[in-house]
Amino acid sequence: MISSAYAAAEGHAQSSGLPQFESSVFASQMFWTIVSFFVLMYLLNRYVIPAINDILDSRSKKIGEDIQQAERARQEADRLLANYRDQIERARQLTATTIDEARIEAAAIREQALAELGEELNKRKASALEEIERTRVQAMEAVREAAVEIAMLATEKLIAKSVTKPKAESMVKEALEHLEKNRIGMH
Amino acid sequence: MESLPASFIGMGLAAAGLAGSGIGLGFMFGKAIEAFARQPGAEAQLSKYVWIGAAFVEAIALYGLVLAFIIMGKG
Amino acid sequence: MLLTATAINAEAAQAVAAAAPRMDPLHHFQVIRYIEIAPFGMDLFSISNSVLWMWISVAAVYLFFRYAMRQPGLVPGRLQSIAEAGYLFIRGIVDENIGHGGKPFFPLVFSLFFFVLFCNWTGLIPASFTATSQLIVTATLALGIFFLSIFLGFYKHGLKFLGFFVPSGLPVLLLPLMVPIEIISFLARPVSLSVRLFANMTAGHTVLGVLFFFSATLPWIGSWLPFGFSVVFTAVEIFIGFIQAYIFTILTCVYINDSLHLHH
Repeated sequence: MISSAYAAAEGHAQSSGLPQFESSVFASQMFWTIVSFFVLMYLLNRYVIPAINDILDSRSKKIGEDIQQAERARQEADRLLANYRDQIERARQLTATTIDEARIEAAAIREQALAELGEELNKRKASALEEIERTRVQAMEAVREAAVEIAMLATEKLIAKSVTKPKAESMVKEALEHLEKNRIGMH
Repeated sequence: MESLPASFIGMGLAAAGLAGSGIGLGFMFGKAIEAFARQPGAEAQLSKYVWIGAAFVEAIALYGLVLAFIIMGKG
Repeated sequence: MLLTATAINAEAAQAVAAAAPRMDPLHHFQVIRYIEIAPFGMDLFSISNSVLWMWISVAAVYLFFRYAMRQPGLVPGRLQSIAEAGYLFIRGIVDENIGHGGKPFFPLVFSLFFFVLFCNWTGLIPASFTATSQLIVTATLALGIFFLSIFLGFYKHGLKFLGFFVPSGLPVLLLPLMVPIEIISFLARPVSLSVRLFANMTAGHTVLGVLFFFSATLPWIGSWLPFGFSVVFTAVEIFIGFIQAYIFTILTCVYINDSLHLHH
């Protein structure tokens, strides 16, 4: 009794079980599944997949190009850097050689100047000495003449007091030697 | 015995097959967590297979459920 | 006397049962024909709610991808990123499971995944219909894949494809036992493929139906519990819809791979 009431209450849903097993709708659903799926596959294959393919390809190409470009820029920068380094090195060398040359030149000039100076000084010294020597000789001459004159005068006076000539001469000689001695002593 | 109560009993028995799937899921996830604890680095690779396996194990339970529905239609 | 009493009782019971809200979680799997087109008495082209939601899913997939890729840029926007992620996801599956020679099958696998995925997901919209909860829909797809794999096997390898059923490295004595097992497991492929998807969808939506029934009929003090659980379960269903589409796709790739490359 209860079960019959239950069965009546359940109605059609209970008697047919799961709606999925109702075979009357199979054919149409099968047909439309196939059609829908192939339509979707056609649409995606025709419009969507090529678009995504293109964009992914172009992106990977772009990335590859960017990497290549960056690589090229890096190489360029490396080259420039090496170039600049080279130039700086060359400039440094140039500076060094210039300084060295200048130093050598300066040393040579100084050397020359010193030599000239020394020579000049020597020359002056030599001429000064010569001058002195000449003056001394002149002075000696003058002194001798003066001495002879004095001696002559003295002799004349002495002769008057009978001094013989040889005596006078020996006396002069004596005086001269004396003078000479004195001069040497003076030196 | 009338066929309707019998079919109800049969449906219940068919659905009892879900227990096996429950055991399987617990076993699988337990083992998976054990594996992750041992090798945390492998989690990303393994979790994919865990979910695939979970779907397989779950499907076994659902075969029982489908059987129950089939019995329901026959009752 | 007794008979009439029984009849009256039965009538009363019927009246009570008819008045009370009746739990029927399987009701929303009912295929309803909207337009009946049955040439020559064959109900072949009828448009039902199942077919309608299949079309809606197809349109949703197509329009989503067209909208996402409407102005494809090298720097992707949000939707374009999603579309590309889906594309790369399927390409990963194809490369991983088919590998060499898998490229021609990419459109098939791509369409199959998104067809199943969107059928699963549009079914979660209230008052909609889940096309993949129909056994015949999943069986059609699975049988198509099954016949495709058989065709591919014979097309690529000729009669050598029959060697697929003979496991290598087995003693000859075991062959009479193993070959039928291999054949049966091969024949079980479309069955398991279709029943898995259909049963997952059916079971999930049945549970949701039961929960909604409870939350609608219980007094307010108790209805929030099944309602809250139904919300959580909807999220689980979204996840399951994805996982089942994924499994369906992966197994498709595995079957195609078995036919392309005879590993046995």
